[in-house]
Amino acid sequence: MNYRSYFKSEWLSLLRRKQDTLNALLFFVMVITLFPLGVDPSSEFLSPAAGGIIWCATALAILMAVEGMYKEDYNDGSLEQWLASGLSISILVFLKVFAQWVMVVVPLLLVLPLLAQMLFLPASALGVVMWSILLGTPALFFIGSIGAALTVSLRRGAVLMLLLILPLYIPVIVFATGAVRAAQMEMAYSGQLAILGAISLVALALSPIMAAVSIRASVN
Amino acid sequence: MRKTVKLDIKNLSIERGERDLCCELSFSVQSGDLIRIAGENGAGKSSLMKAILGWVPIEDGELIYNGEDVTQHRDMLLQDQLYLGHTPGIKNVFTALENLKLYCPDKSDRQLEQALEEVQLFAFADIPAAQLSAGQKRRIALARLWLTDKSLWFLDEPFTALDVKGVSVLEEKMAAHLSEGGAVVITTHQPLLHLSPKVIELSV
Repeated sequence: MNYRSYFKSEWLSLLRRKQDTLNALLFFVMVITLFPLGVDPSSEFLSPAAGGIIWCATALAILMAVEGMYKEDYNDGSLEQWLASGLSISILVFLKVFAQWVMVVVPLLLVLPLLAQMLFLPASALGVVMWSILLGTPALFFIGSIGAALTVSLRRGAVLMLLLILPLYIPVIVFATGAVRAAQMEMAYSGQLAILGAISLVALALSPIMAAVSIRASVN
Repeated sequence: MRKTVKLDIKNLSIERGERDLCCELSFSVQSGDLIRIAGENGAGKSSLMKAILGWVPIEDGELIYNGEDVTQHRDMLLQDQLYLGHTPGIKNVFTALENLKLYCPDKSDRQLEQALEEVQLFAFADIPAAQLSAGQKRRIALARLWLTDKSLWFLDEPFTALDVKGVSVLEEKMAAHLSEGGAVVITTHQPLLHLSPKVIELSV
């Protein structure tokens, strides 16, 4: 096994298990469609709330996608082979998260313009929402990968993982929706976007190391 | 010929959940050796193997590999070994060939197919592993033994789910590996038919 062959196989396995990614996307679409039906379909309510609705749906969809990201590797012994391969677990984690991120976020960005229309999001704010998703979601994936690695050996680890990582999602959601709100009020939003990018970079630097430690502890 | 190896395990103690799995265990593995770790269920055979490879913590003891202390960092040892565990890392969504390609990226398709032929899986090369039996999945993993140039093999219960023919093919491969100067550490409950290993006995 080397990094290249691993990345290729990770990609292939994501493509083979399309339904998992599709589930997350479908969930995202459903939350956003149900919101106006459940609360208030008028544009006076939806237009200012759109950024928040989109971001909550995104965070939940990503939680769904990352929760079981190592489950199969754990069950079929692949994680043991990671350790036996002598490769850096952190880099393997990074490659896995990167592949997952592309698989979930790209389709999500593609359906977003349509959903934004449904929520009466002003066209001027759509770009900011997309930037906030591009800059903020890597943090959600990387933080989620730590939780998934910590709970991979537990039979019912999903709830524990939610409790562990949801608090860490809050800053990302706060700054992301803050950026969208600022844009809608025609104020400067670059500061919030910069902080989102910074959070993602910190998560990128730290979480592969922490996930690798968790994987070592889980596999024995 | 394979790279010559010598692994000395000195006074190894492993504890797991308040229970001593082994205490002050010493043995050495070198080129041409076949070591069988024996013991009842739960005696700690797999744990001993994982402790040597470094992902079960050891309480006490030293590992010396080719004269260097690898107790803290197993990288040197990991480079020269091939480990197949209880669940040997075969992905259900991949075909037999794709599974081998992941682990042996530098081999040509022809070589991979040849290895599958050795384990009688050539006809199944393009079928997803999910549709194969437990024994066939294990054969995919075992096919790696035909493709590798590593000297030190750690095989945890490799005979599980194999049929009689499969067992004898694997034994022949192990014998060939030993004669090329390789070494094998194996855990198994089945007696080996043609090979006579050194036995390390673990007690519960």
